[in-house]
Amino acid sequence: MTRHIGIINNKITKTLLSVLALLLFWQALSALLQLPALPGPVPSFKAFFLEMTGSLGFHFYVSAYRVLISLAISLVLAVPLGMVLGREEKIDQFVAPMIYLLYPIPKVVFLPVLLALLGLKDLPKVALITLVVFFQILVTTRDAAKNINRDLINSVVSLGAGRRDIYRHVVWPAAVPEVLTSLRIASGTAIAVLFISETVASQEGLGYYLLDAWSRMSYENMFAGIIAMGILGFVIYIILDIMEKRACPWK
Amino acid sequence: MNGLTGEGAMVRVNGLSLWYGGGEHRVQALDRISFTIPRGGTCAVIGPSGSGKSTLLYVFSGLLEEYSGEVLVDGEKVPRGRRKTALILQDHGLLPWKKVWDNAALGLAIRRVPPAIKRERIASILKEMGLWEMRNRYPSQLSGGQRQRIGIARALALEPDLLLMDEPFSSLDALTRETMQQLLLNIWLKDRITIVLVTHSIEEAIFLGQRIIVLSERPGRVVEVVDNPRAGRMDYRKTGEFYRMATRVRELLEH
Repeated sequence: MTRHIGIINNKITKTLLSVLALLLFWQALSALLQLPALPGPVPSFKAFFLEMTGSLGFHFYVSAYRVLISLAISLVLAVPLGMVLGREEKIDQFVAPMIYLLYPIPKVVFLPVLLALLGLKDLPKVALITLVVFFQILVTTRDAAKNINRDLINSVVSLGAGRRDIYRHVVWPAAVPEVLTSLRIASGTAIAVLFISETVASQEGLGYYLLDAWSRMSYENMFAGIIAMGILGFVIYIILDIMEKRACPWK
Repeated sequence: MNGLTGEGAMVRVNGLSLWYGGGEHRVQALDRISFTIPRGGTCAVIGPSGSGKSTLLYVFSGLLEEYSGEVLVDGEKVPRGRRKTALILQDHGLLPWKKVWDNAALGLAIRRVPPAIKRERIASILKEMGLWEMRNRYPSQLSGGQRQRIGIARALALEPDLLLMDEPFSSLDALTRETMQQLLLNIWLKDRITIVLVTHSIEEAIFLGQRIIVLSERPGRVVEVVDNPRAGRMDYRKTGEFYRMATRVRELLEH
C-alpha cells in the first residue's frame, strides 16, 4: 500500500515538474519577445483565477459539457457498430468504402450545414465534435475486433459459444483497451474542433470567450481562456487514462 | 452392419476429404482419410506441417462443417458444439482479460450451468490441477505450464468423453512437457476419456497414443495406422519396444 502511494507521489512530482518547465519556457518566451499579444504566465494566471469565478467559469462549463456529451455519444454509436463491422465481413464490405470516403474529409467543412440544420445552440457543436470523434473510434474498434486471433474465437466457439457469447466474452473485452486509447487521443482533437465550432455564430463557450477577448485586445483574458482550454483537455485526458487502467487490469 | 472395426468406436472417419478456399485458391487439405478411434482409447495424429493434422481436430469438434466423406463421433454426425467434446488449441485459447477462475469456468458459463454446480466443479478441478492458489490471477502472470493447465481445466470442467488437443505441449520446456504428459496420462487413467492428440513429436506420439495415425504431406493422406498398445504405461519410455516403435514411425514419416 505504501509502495502504491509512493508510485503515485512520484508520478505527481514528475507531472508538477513538467508543468513548471512549461511555465518557465512561457515566461522566458514572453520576456524575450516583449509582445502585448504574449503576456507572461503571471498576469495570465491572475486573469484566469479572477475570470473563473465570473464569465470564464460559465464558458468553461458550457464547453466541458459539449465535449463530454460528444465523446459519450460517439462512444455509444461507434463501439457497437465498429464491433459488428469487425466481425461480420459481409456488412463490412458494404460499409468500409463509405467510411474510407468520409474519414479523410475534415468534418469542419460541414459546420455551415449543421448550423443551418440544427440551429445556433449546443446541437451543431455537439454534432460536429461527434462526427469527428465517431470515425476515429469506429475505425479503431473495427480493427480491434477484426484482429482478434482466430484460434481464440475457435476455442470459445468449441465451448459452445453462440454469436452473442463471442461478442460478450471475446470481442467486447478485446476492444475496450483500444477504444479507450483512441478516445484519449481523440479528446485532443475534440477540443480543437470545439474551438472552431464555438468561434462561428456563437455566444457561449471557451471558443467564443477567447475570440471575444482577442477582439477586445484583452490578451491576459485571452490567455486565461487558453489556460482553461488546456486544463479542460488535461482533465479529460487524465480521467480517460485512469479509466483505461481500471478497465484493463489484465494488461 | 458398420463392420467390426467400427464397433464401439468413439470416432469413425470414412473417406474424409476437405478443401480450403474456393476458385483458384482451392487447396486440398485432407485426402480420403479413414480410421477409427476406440472408445476410451488414446490416439496420436502425427505428420509433417501442412498435413492437415489440426484440420482433423477442427472437423471432429464441429468447427469445420464443409467436407466430403463421413465423420461420426459417438455414432452420430458431428454436431457443432457437441456438449461432450472438448477442444484445446495450440496456444490454449485462454482469454487474457479473464482471471484463471473465469477462464476455467468459461465453458460452464456459456452453457448456462447453474452457479452452485459451476462453483463446486471449478473449485475441485482447480485444486486437482494445482491452480487453486492462482485462481485470481490473469493468464499473463502465469508460466506456460500453468496456462496449459488452465486450458485442460477448462476442458475437463465440461466433463467430456472426447478430448481433442492440438500440439498441447509444443510450447513448453522439456521438463514441464514431461510433467504435463504425465498429468494427461493420469487424467486418462482416471476418467478413461477418449483422447485425440495432434503432435509433431514422435516421442510424444508413442508415449501417449495407443493408436498412431501417420499422415503424409499436403494433401494429408493416411500413410499408416500404427497400433501401439503399450502407450499410456508409465515405464514405456525406458523399454526397447519404445525405441523400436520410434524407429518405425520415423521411417513412416520419412517415407
